Amino acid sequence: MIDVILQAFASIVLDPVTLGLMFVGTLAGILAGAIPGFTIAMGVILTLPFTFGMTAVQGLATMLGVFVGGFSGGLMSCMLTGIPGTPSSVATTFDGFPLVRSGRPGLALGLGLWSSFFGGMISAVILVALAPQLAFLGLEFGPWDYFSLIIFALTITVSLSGGNITKGLIAGLLGLFAATVGEDEINGVARFTFGFDDFKQGFAFLPVLIGLFAFSQLLTDVEDDKRAKSPLMSQSGTVVKVEHRQAILIILKRWVNLFRSSFIGIFTGILPAAGGSISNILAYDQAKKASPNRSNFGKGEYDGVIAPEAANNATAGGALIMMMALGIPGDIVTAVMLGALMIHNIIPGPTFIQDEPLLAYGVFIAFFVAHFFMVGLQAFSLRIFLLVTKIPMYVLASVILAYCAIGVFALHNIVFDIWVMFFFGVIGYFMKKLGFPLAPMILGVVLGKLAELNLARATGISDDMLLFISRPWSLFFLLMAVISVIFPFYQEAKKETLFAKLYVPVSMIVLSLPLFLMGSPVRMIVAVILVLTGAYFLYKRTSSLKTT
Amino acid sequence: MSINKDTIVAIFLLLFCGIMINSSFDIEDPGYQGMKASFWPTIVLCLLSVMSLVMLIKSMVSTTDNNLNSENTNSQNIFLKFKNASICFLMFILFLAFLDYLGMLIGGVLFVFGLLTLLGGFEIKKIINHSIISIITIGIMWSIFTFGLKVILPEGEILRIW
Repeated sequence: MIDVILQAFASIVLDPVTLGLMFVGTLAGILAGAIPGFTIAMGVILTLPFTFGMTAVQGLATMLGVFVGGFSGGLMSCMLTGIPGTPSSVATTFDGFPLVRSGRPGLALGLGLWSSFFGGMISAVILVALAPQLAFLGLEFGPWDYFSLIIFALTITVSLSGGNITKGLIAGLLGLFAATVGEDEINGVARFTFGFDDFKQGFAFLPVLIGLFAFSQLLTDVEDDKRAKSPLMSQSGTVVKVEHRQAILIILKRWVNLFRSSFIGIFTGILPAAGGSISNILAYDQAKKASPNRSNFGKGEYDGVIAPEAANNATAGGALIMMMALGIPGDIVTAVMLGALMIHNIIPGPTFIQDEPLLAYGVFIAFFVAHFFMVGLQAFSLRIFLLVTKIPMYVLASVILAYCAIGVFALHNIVFDIWVMFFFGVIGYFMKKLGFPLAPMILGVVLGKLAELNLARATGISDDMLLFISRPWSLFFLLMAVISVIFPFYQEAKKETLFAKLYVPVSMIVLSLPLFLMGSPVRMIVAVILVLTGAYFLYKRTSSLKTT
Repeated sequence: MSINKDTIVAIFLLLFCGIMINSSFDIEDPGYQGMKASFWPTIVLCLLSVMSLVMLIKSMVSTTDNNLNSENTNSQNIFLKFKNASICFLMFILFLAFLDYLGMLIGGVLFVFGLLTLLGGFEIKKIINHSIISIITIGIMWSIFTFGLKVILPEGEILRIW
C-alpha cells in the first residue's frame, strides 16, 4: 500500500509535466469560476479535449486542478464585484461583499481563500479514508443492485435539479434513449440508425456533453444583444493584497464552523446531483443558525464567509468519493471525469481502486496538490481575472464555439462528432428555453449504457425480476429512488399538512427494512436507530396534529 | 383547458416516441439467449411516452403557463430573441458544410471572424480587431492540436491543392 502511495505521489509531485499541467488547469479553473456565465463544469468539459494526448493520471490531475480552482475562482468575482462567478459561491456574496465594502478586501479574500483550502483538505482526508471503504461495500453489489443504484442516481438528479419533476424525468429518459442509438454492446445489433452508417457507432459521450452543456450555454450567453457586446463585468475590482496570516487565525478560531461546513459540503457532494450550489447555501444557513452573532450576518460576518467557502470546496471531495468508489458520477464534473477515464479504457466501478491503485491514489494526491496551487495562484489569477473581465461575451463565445469543434473532432478524428455536438447543442438550447433541466439528460447519457448492461447481466443470470426487490441493496436504492421522486412534492407541501409531517419519519422507517435484511450487526444497529428516530418523529408530529 | 408551449412540446414528444417505438420493431433479433436488443429502448420509450402524456395533461389543465397568445410570442419578438442564436446556428452549419473544402484552419478563422462580425458589428475598427482575434486564436488552437497533441485536423481541399 505504502509503495503504491509513494509511486502515485511521485507520478504527481515529482513529474514536472504533471505539475505544469495542474498549474495551468488550476489557473484556468480559477478564471472559469470567476467569470459570470461560465461554470466549473464548463471549464472541466472544455479541458477534456486537451487530455486526450495525456496519460490518465495527467488528464485527471489537470481536470482536478480546474475543478478545485473553479470553486475558489467564484469567490473573487463575488467579493470584488458582488456578482457570484458560479452558483457555488452565491452565499459567499452575502457577507463577502459587505466585508469588502467595509474596507477589508484583503481579509475577505483571505478568509474565502483559506476556508476553501481547509474545506478542501478536510474533504481530501475523508476522500482517502472513505472511498476505499465504500468501494469494499460496492463489491457486494450484483447487477440488480447496480441497476437500482443508477435508477436512484437519475431520480435524485431529477428531484434536485430544480423545476418541474415531469420535465426532469423526461430529460433523464431522453438521455437514456440517446445512449441506446447505435450498435448495442450486448448483441452488436444496430438500433435506430435509420440506414445511416455514421449512426452505427452511436453518439459519443463527449460531443453530446459539450453540445448539451457548453454549446447551449454559449448560445444563451450571447442571446441578449446588449449584454453580449458589453464587457463581462461592468464593475471591475482592483488588485488587493490578501491578508493571509490574519485570515488563517480567524478561521482556526472558528474551527467548529469550518468542520461543520466542510462535513455539510462532503455529504452534499456524496449525494448524486447535489453539488456546490446547494452546499454553500446549506452551510451558510447552518452557520447563521448556530452563530451567537446572528444579527451580523449579511453585514460582513466572518462566519458567513468561512461557511460557504469551506462547504463548496469540500463538495468536490464528496463528489469524487462516489465516482472513485462506485463509478457513479455525483455531478456533471465527475461525469466528465468518468468520460475521461473511459477514453483511456479505464472503467471506474467498485473494483477501480483495487484494479488501478496507482491512478486512484494519483487522484487523491492530485486533489491535495490542487489546493496548494489554488492558494498560490490566487494573487496571480486576480490580475488575469481583471483583464479577462474587459472582454465582451460575444468574443469569448465565438472563440470557444470554434474551440469546441476542434476539441470534439480530436476525439475520434471524424466530422460526424462535430455534427453530433451541434445537434445536441441545439437540443440543449431549446430544452433550456422550455424549462427542461439538462443535468438529468447528461447523467442519462452517461449512465444509460451502464444501466442497460447491468439489466442485461441481471436478466441473464436469472429470469426472476423479483430479485430487484428481494435483494437488500437493490431494494434500498429503489426505495431511495421513490423517496427522491416524492421529495419535490414534500418541498412544495405546506409544513402543517399530514404529508409534510409524515414524509421524513416514514422514509426513515421504510429505509430501515433493507438494512434489516442485510443482516450484518452494524447495519442492524443503523436500521434500529432509523426506526427509533423515525418513530419518535412520527409520534411528535402526529401528536402535534392532534393538538391542532 | 388551454394550449401553451408545453402542450406543443408534449405532442411533439409523443410523436417522437411513436416513431421511435415503431422503429424499435425493426431492431434485429439475432436469437441469442438473454435480453433482446429492443428490450431496454422499448422500456425507456414507454416511460417517455407516459411522462409526455402526463406533461400534455398537466399543460392542458394548467391555467397560468406560457399561453401562446401572450405578447412574448409575436413574430418580431421571437426573431429578436433568437437572432444571435440563429446566427450561431447558421454560421456553424456553414462551417461544417464547407469544412471539407476549407479545412479546420481556414474554416475556423472564417467561422470565428464571421461570427464575431455578425454578433459584434461591422465598424472598420471592429472588423480589424475581429480579424486579428480570429487569426491568432484559431492559429494557436490549431498549432496546439496539430503539433502539441498530434491530432490530424481536416486540411481542406484548398490547402491540399495549394
